[in-house]
Amino acid sequence: MAKDKNHKHILRKRKIASRRVVSRKHVAKIPKVKMPHYVLNSNYEFYDELKGLILKSSPAEIDRMINRITSLGKIRLAIISGLFLNESTGGEIADLFIVGDDISKDRLRTFLKALEAEVGKEIKFSLMDKDEFQYRYGMFDRFVRVLLEGPHEKIINKLGI
Amino acid sequence: MSKSKTNGRYSLELLFGSKARVKILKFMFRNYPGDVSIKDLTNRIQEPHQTVKKEVELLHSIGLLKKT
Repeated sequence: MAKDKNHKHILRKRKIASRRVVSRKHVAKIPKVKMPHYVLNSNYEFYDELKGLILKSSPAEIDRMINRITSLGKIRLAIISGLFLNESTGGEIADLFIVGDDISKDRLRTFLKALEAEVGKEIKFSLMDKDEFQYRYGMFDRFVRVLLEGPHEKIINKLGI
Repeated sequence: MSKSKTNGRYSLELLFGSKARVKILKFMFRNYPGDVSIKDLTNRIQEPHQTVKKEVELLHSIGLLKKT
């Protein structure tokens, strides 16, 4: 009996404690100040000129991209297209194409997430190992052909293609 | 593309005198008309918070950025 009473007591205590947590959360929400957000002012004197200048450049720094891609694994080939080139038509088959072996999936995920955040858009990405690529390259696979015949830049090329 | 690719890649940063400033401008123009807080911007372009804050305030002071 005594044990049972004790148990009830604990239960009640716990209830109070949980209620307290809820109420604290509620209180915390009120003083939350909205961070100021910034947007471009299209009435700025040189807005159009600046826009032309800035958008002419590549969205991500290619040299930094090369370093980050190299650290993913044994990279044989990396091609940028679409989003990363200025002559993009938007209909490209992939924005980033990597051929390599022993690629760390975790690092790749982190890399793509960071890149997408930087660009502000979803990246069309494709990955193949060396054997698959060479097989597809040799048989004039549609994907590989479209990518290599369209506007692209090979930022890493250890395959000599 | 231009013949001197390596120089071309950095020329805007050199012209503007700040890597972070160019990154902010690139981000803002590519995501127009999206608005962003300094904290989000810091995460996205991966530059130090203080630098981003300074550059955003500068761009705001010349009227290129406005608060929403």
